[in-house]
Amino acid sequence: MEKKRLLEKYQIPVGHLDFDYVKKCENPREMEKIVMILRSGEEGFYPDLTRCAEEKLKELKPNSKMFRYEEQIRTSDTLDVQELKPIYDWTEHIKYKDHALSVLKEDSTHLPPIRKPSKIEIDKQEDKDTKTQKAESAAKTNISAKKQTNRIKSTDYNKWDKYDPDEEILRMDLEEERTKEQVQVRANQLETAAVAKSKAGHIDKQAVAEQRLAEQLKKLSQLEREQYAERFRLRGNEYFKVKDYDQAVSEYTLAIEYDPEQAARAYNNRAISQLKQHKYVAAMEDCEACLRLEPDNVKAILRLADANYGYGRRRESYGLYERVLNLESNNASAQKMLKQLRQELGELAPSNATRLIIEEVEQKDQKEQKSQKEKKDQKEQLKPKAKPQPKVVQTKKEYDLAELVKPNRVVKSKIASAAEALGKLKGSNHNPNSNSDIGQKQQQMPLPLMMMQQGMPTSQPELRLNNNSGSSKNKLLIQEL
Amino acid sequence: MDKPQMIEHLHEAVNYTVYDTKWIPLSAKFVVLGSKPNSHGILDIYELNEAKLEKVKSVEKKAAFKCGTFGASSLRNRHMAIGDFEGRLQVLDLERTDLAVYNVKGHNSIINCVDAIGGTQLECGSPEIVTGSRDGAVKVWDIRQGQAPVVDISPPAQMGDGINNSNLRRDCWAVAFGNTYNAEERIVAAGYDNGDLKLFDLRALAVRWEATIKNGICGVEFDRRDIPMNKLAVTTLEGGLLVYDMRTQHPTKGFSWVEERNAGRSVGTNGIINGPKATVWTVRHLPQNRDVFLTGGGTGSIRIWKYEYPDRRFTDDADGIKEGVAGKLQMVSAVTLSSQPVHSFDWHPDKLGLAVAGAFDQSVRVLITTKLNTL
Repeated sequence: MEKKRLLEKYQIPVGHLDFDYVKKCENPREMEKIVMILRSGEEGFYPDLTRCAEEKLKELKPNSKMFRYEEQIRTSDTLDVQELKPIYDWTEHIKYKDHALSVLKEDSTHLPPIRKPSKIEIDKQEDKDTKTQKAESAAKTNISAKKQTNRIKSTDYNKWDKYDPDEEILRMDLEEERTKEQVQVRANQLETAAVAKSKAGHIDKQAVAEQRLAEQLKKLSQLEREQYAERFRLRGNEYFKVKDYDQAVSEYTLAIEYDPEQAARAYNNRAISQLKQHKYVAAMEDCEACLRLEPDNVKAILRLADANYGYGRRRESYGLYERVLNLESNNASAQKMLKQLRQELGELAPSNATRLIIEEVEQKDQKEQKSQKEKKDQKEQLKPKAKPQPKVVQTKKEYDLAELVKPNRVVKSKIASAAEALGKLKGSNHNPNSNSDIGQKQQQMPLPLMMMQQGMPTSQPELRLNNNSGSSKNKLLIQEL
Repeated sequence: MDKPQMIEHLHEAVNYTVYDTKWIPLSAKFVVLGSKPNSHGILDIYELNEAKLEKVKSVEKKAAFKCGTFGASSLRNRHMAIGDFEGRLQVLDLERTDLAVYNVKGHNSIINCVDAIGGTQLECGSPEIVTGSRDGAVKVWDIRQGQAPVVDISPPAQMGDGINNSNLRRDCWAVAFGNTYNAEERIVAAGYDNGDLKLFDLRALAVRWEATIKNGICGVEFDRRDIPMNKLAVTTLEGGLLVYDMRTQHPTKGFSWVEERNAGRSVGTNGIINGPKATVWTVRHLPQNRDVFLTGGGTGSIRIWKYEYPDRRFTDDADGIKEGVAGKLQMVSAVTLSSQPVHSFDWHPDKLGLAVAGAFDQSVRVLITTKLNTL
């Protein structure tokens, strides 16, 4: 059988193999096909057209597979001696390290315990799955069978006379919601327990890890420490590349701990990670630590300047950018930032301006305080060097939050009506929560929540629970209120 | 030229079949494992010396060596774990090779692949070695344990006589450790000749996930062994290269992946792929950058790939369940190294761009790759 020609295979008319069409074509996929046909030479050899088509394709789809070329391996003779020198130097260096390592005596560092001998069965998964499924379905049928026992017999007319479908529906709804709520409560409990546990565990673990780290560090030689530190730094770089700054910071921290004497690069990298997260103070500290180790590290100065600028200390950052330019006169980003700063400088106060001090006003509500603090911080960041202004005391209004809580009035009326509605239910014998509890809860409830409850009484747990213990108790509750 | 370029720095022809090449950590030396024509195993240690290679040591043993690793040894001892054609796993002290540090007849048949972990990683659990063999079993070893594996992942015992059932047993071609980010978690990925890919969870002692790929799996590797699973690269017969995003596991769809179908063939000088489909023998991630890796193909060509992450690494499907999103593969460079398959490759753990490659043309090459830091 004759092989199909590419032209037929791709269903491209011959007319498209043309300069005009190639120039107009906007479909990268079609362009790829055209290039493929032209390169194959099946339709003849047109070097100019091929080149033109390739250029167009490069424009449309720069990373097309058509631009993958096989290269011949080059030998090192083609390289300049200068290029090979780093390798030779490295070889000498590593040989020295190698020797140093081999001299080190092996001490039995405490290793984690041996795993218990065990087996993983393959190919038996299916059996297990079906078994568990069967068990589950059996359990389900059991449950449904139990549920059925409460049914009224179809011949029991007395009972049917008493049967009120509306009430029954209401009760079912309530029951459903109660179970839902119970599930929620249980989940919440579990969650809080888990959080508490993990918190405690976290602190424990941290302490243990720190201790172990210290022990390990003691055992390691300087050479090994360098190695590990370098590895952590590289891992940090990987996290940094994929913008996982938290992880990057923790890797760099490890790198610094392992080899604090040669940690300039790790500090520097941690600084930029912090900077990306807008943690300016931490970034500044890291830059300074890096500069202590390498006083003329241009990157560190630049980052310190950026951090200062981000923090709002423009004057300091101005000086730092200038320092960068002194070391590296053609640093583009420093030049750009200086230009920008000069424009902004008009707004800046003279350097002898005093800092605005904001006194903290005592607040009853913590949240309020927090948000104000944040605002203050922001203000500080925005214009800490503002021209001397008269001290402004925070003129935030103080809200009396107590006013927001008006339990008695609202609750009374609402609960009464709700209880009445529920009281109509005969013999509703659901499992109750204690009533006094409910009362307290409602008293503490702020206004908005109350309103919500009014809106949909049946869906709110607190109100609904009242019906659990019969109408007499409901009345009691209302009296208490 | 601003893109990485591969340069053949040194070339050493040997008189045996090369099966594996590995750098000795923190040194300028590498080990070549192979099989002599009389099927004796041979282990050569070479050292880089300016512009030439110097053979430092040569050891011969009875059974041909198939694969080796330094993953479970600390920087101080640097012992090598070696699997051979008779199913024996031994750990050799390269200074004193006559007596093995650990020696166990682990499998009934050839050990195809070995991987190890825990030697130089701290806080990552105990040092362990995993082997995969033609007898279908994957076994995890702890050299302090004695003669039994710590985890045995064997296919179920055969019923009936062995002759009729012998080809039911799968041949394990590739194993790799991963997900070892603390003392408990550890996962073994295993690839089989029928295209089965299985993930074994060593903490839960269960099969975490399995999939079947069209072709037999020749190579698997996690981009990093000692972090929470990030990516898994899988290479197959007939030129398949798959990279799975291991961050998000969908309950039914599993992990999502990106596939390259012609990773083993030569792309030719004009970008048109021709010639027969060729196996991708090996995949090795760059120790200094986990998103760059190399594949060695059956036509003697090696390729450097770069994985590009998507903007968001997961989406929510119709039921609101998280589903991973795979990235893209970009071919950085393709070089033909040999006329025979390049089946073993090792980046130097401490020097960016330095690598050693073994091919079936009975030669070992030291390669230098420039500008890898620009990726």
